[in-house]
Amino acid sequence: MAGLSLDLIAVQLFAGLALGAIYVLFAIGLSLIFGMLTVVNFAHGAFFMVGAYVGLFVLMMGGNFWLALVVVPLVVGVIGLIVERFLVRPLYGRGIDYPLLLTFGLSYIMVELIRIAFGTTGYPFDTPELLQGAVDIGIGYFPLYRLFVLGAAAVVLLVLWLFLEKTSYGLIIRAGARDPQIVRVLGVDVSRVWLVVFGVGTGIAGLAGVLAAPLQGVIPEMGSTILAEAFVVTVVGGMGSIGGAVIAGLLVGVVVSMTSLFAPEMAKVSIFALMAIVLLVRPQGFFGRAGLMS
Amino acid sequence: MNSQSDADNGVILRTHDVSKTFGKFRALKNISASFPRGAITSIIGPNGAGKSTYFNLLSGAFPPSSGRVEFEGRDVTNVPQHKFAHMGVAKSFQITNVFPLLSTRENVRVALQALVSCYDIWRPRAKLPGLAEKADALLMQVGIWHCRDRVAKTLAHGEQRALEIGMALASDPRLLLLDEPTAGMSPEETRVMMDLIVKLARERTVILVEHKMKLVMGISDRVLVLHHGELLVDGTPSEVRQDQQVKRVYLGQREH
Amino acid sequence: MSDVPQTIADASDRSNSLFDMAVRHRAILASVFLLMFPLIMPFKALAANILIYGLYALGFNLLFGFLGLLSFGHAALFGTGAYFCGIAIVHFGLPWYVAILIGTLGGAGMAAIIGVLAVRTRGIYFAMVTMALAQCVYYLFYQAEGWTGGENGLRGINVRVIDIFGLKFDFLDPLTRYYVIAAFVILALFVLSRILASPFGAVIEAVRENEARARASGYNVMLTRLLTFILSGAFCGLAGALAALHLSIVPIEMLHYETSGMVVMMALLGGMGTFFGPFVGAAVFMLLENLVSLWTVHWQLIVGAVFVACVLFFPAGIWGTILRRIHK
Repeated sequence: MAGLSLDLIAVQLFAGLALGAIYVLFAIGLSLIFGMLTVVNFAHGAFFMVGAYVGLFVLMMGGNFWLALVVVPLVVGVIGLIVERFLVRPLYGRGIDYPLLLTFGLSYIMVELIRIAFGTTGYPFDTPELLQGAVDIGIGYFPLYRLFVLGAAAVVLLVLWLFLEKTSYGLIIRAGARDPQIVRVLGVDVSRVWLVVFGVGTGIAGLAGVLAAPLQGVIPEMGSTILAEAFVVTVVGGMGSIGGAVIAGLLVGVVVSMTSLFAPEMAKVSIFALMAIVLLVRPQGFFGRAGLMS
Repeated sequence: MNSQSDADNGVILRTHDVSKTFGKFRALKNISASFPRGAITSIIGPNGAGKSTYFNLLSGAFPPSSGRVEFEGRDVTNVPQHKFAHMGVAKSFQITNVFPLLSTRENVRVALQALVSCYDIWRPRAKLPGLAEKADALLMQVGIWHCRDRVAKTLAHGEQRALEIGMALASDPRLLLLDEPTAGMSPEETRVMMDLIVKLARERTVILVEHKMKLVMGISDRVLVLHHGELLVDGTPSEVRQDQQVKRVYLGQREH
Repeated sequence: MSDVPQTIADASDRSNSLFDMAVRHRAILASVFLLMFPLIMPFKALAANILIYGLYALGFNLLFGFLGLLSFGHAALFGTGAYFCGIAIVHFGLPWYVAILIGTLGGAGMAAIIGVLAVRTRGIYFAMVTMALAQCVYYLFYQAEGWTGGENGLRGINVRVIDIFGLKFDFLDPLTRYYVIAAFVILALFVLSRILASPFGAVIEAVRENEARARASGYNVMLTRLLTFILSGAFCGLAGALAALHLSIVPIEMLHYETSGMVVMMALLGGMGTFFGPFVGAAVFMLLENLVSLWTVHWQLIVGAVFVACVLFFPAGIWGTILRRIHK
């Protein structure tokens, strides 16, 4: 334990936040879609994975990382729009499990299509040149790219916040998350709003995928792992709560990162232990409403 | 206080200073009341008065934020809902609440079974003695025996409400709690239901929540009037009718 | 969710039609079919696989189809059954029948642990929590390399001879192996049909139909959910134990998310809330897997598409749709 200086812990904490930023972006889309559509998108991991592969494709075509950051959310978001319009929409009103089952089946198809297009083995994903190396952040050297991920997540959150708080669309979404009936009574075309929310949520998942790619590489199965972890985030934070997703996402990132420092063999299991504790003590999560759970 | 003697002094249910808050909203404010055994007590009040919240506290659907609920002298404030049936308290819901895909008789049979066998996974349930007969008897009592083999969701609204009361009676409760038993009913159905309630009250205590004040005045022994989460008046129907405050908040509302 | 199938089962009152008689003796009919099955199935090993996964889906269906709880973590129960059975044989040298019992209890025990946490949630949360906890179980077994063989799976579960009261059966013979497995599956079918016809079976239905009403009637809903989850775990644990004997190895993939997802697909393809649907679903799934993989390695694409089509157009599943047609 002598080697564990305070600085090391601080750097590890920071690394945890960067990892958490990925979780946050992933879980926010999940929460947004659930809060508005009451659909648990089991294909969210697949959208994340497709995002990473679309990014890879942009690089293969000679584009750069910055172009990928723009292209990926658009492409993945459009896929999301198509999925909502033609596959999820027919299932509204048929019980809460059906959209879940559908998106689950869809994730199979998406993963397999990617395997057909790119093969079953993974690819490395180069960190963009501009973001290679480390910088001194006062407590020690920290990989520049991770810092960038943190910043990017913050920007996305800010944009999302402005969208939700300052635009008329955002107003409808916030009202709808609280009570879909009200929105309908007001004469708003709810299905249009749902479409947009699904597109935005999946687009952010795609962006999270391409941001995560330099950290972990890309493989077709990368989606199902983060899906399970994102469920932990959602349970801990409280479903449908964006604030909950942010705080729980960062917390889960830090927990993973700290346990891999102190007890590496527990790193994978630690977050599930965290979820178990939350379930026992506060089943609705940090920010969840009690009513949703029971 | 005098809760020890509640069992024999004619009080079946009592709330001590109960309040309920949802977030920042105070739905109920410090209500203390006692309910006499063997009587029909109605809880009335305009929309948003806190009637349903109070009902849910009485029936154990959720606990109060503060205060105590006592049934027959026993503190039941935090007793989980499913134990109420076993203690002799049954309730019907404001929104019709039956097992939609089961037959009418099976609905009642399941309710009866709760007091006999919950976790037996081995013996055939058809062999539980007497349940089918008891179910038929209850269906006759609430007047829907002719519907016994129909799937519950195909029953008319009034029949479903009667079925619900039949299920509530399955535990042979000493206290029957009814949340707006005539909601959504036609005048004819309402009259049948009111007759049934009066009949049932001969053998047990009935507490009912009702939005329509007129309906309950004729049959109630006592009336509690709630307004903005507070207990406004607690008295006999004629006392309530005379009360100026009630006239103002309740009757006046309709005139203007 | 399961609309029609259950009401069919309930209609088995005193009517004398052929269909109702079939419903009343469904366990016997299903058993007869399973005994005949290898005669029409050219690949005996595949037939045994269908049995095992059919049993796995049957256990899952008790929870999903009959109680209405959608679990995405059943691989943890199936896999625990397999590992416990395998560990009993490989590390403790216990006889095969004790190992099967340990596997079954292992599945039930794991269900109790996961269940205590998961039944506190409901609906959509239940699916998420079970999936996350199953992932945790996967990592735990993965890391307990000394016991489980980790990434390489647990090897060396060699049962060559099954002896029952002095009679010796060659477990390496595919047909014998099928019938040994079938004997356990048939036993499970009878147990399940008793559970469904028991008082507790009525409680399961009541909780699925209307939780609030069941609670008001005096049933402990949480406990009912937990007990059903444990029963489901026992069936899945048995299926896992049989799989371990059949494969003579427990691959770590048995605990994987895809194994959880597979059983969801099987149950829905076959028809949730039906008695025999899980076997139909398992058969269709495995035949699809085997046939399509002759033609392309990307069989999951076809399976996924069939599943999505099923969700959209045939939510009652294959068997459920057939039952509906007959019933009308």
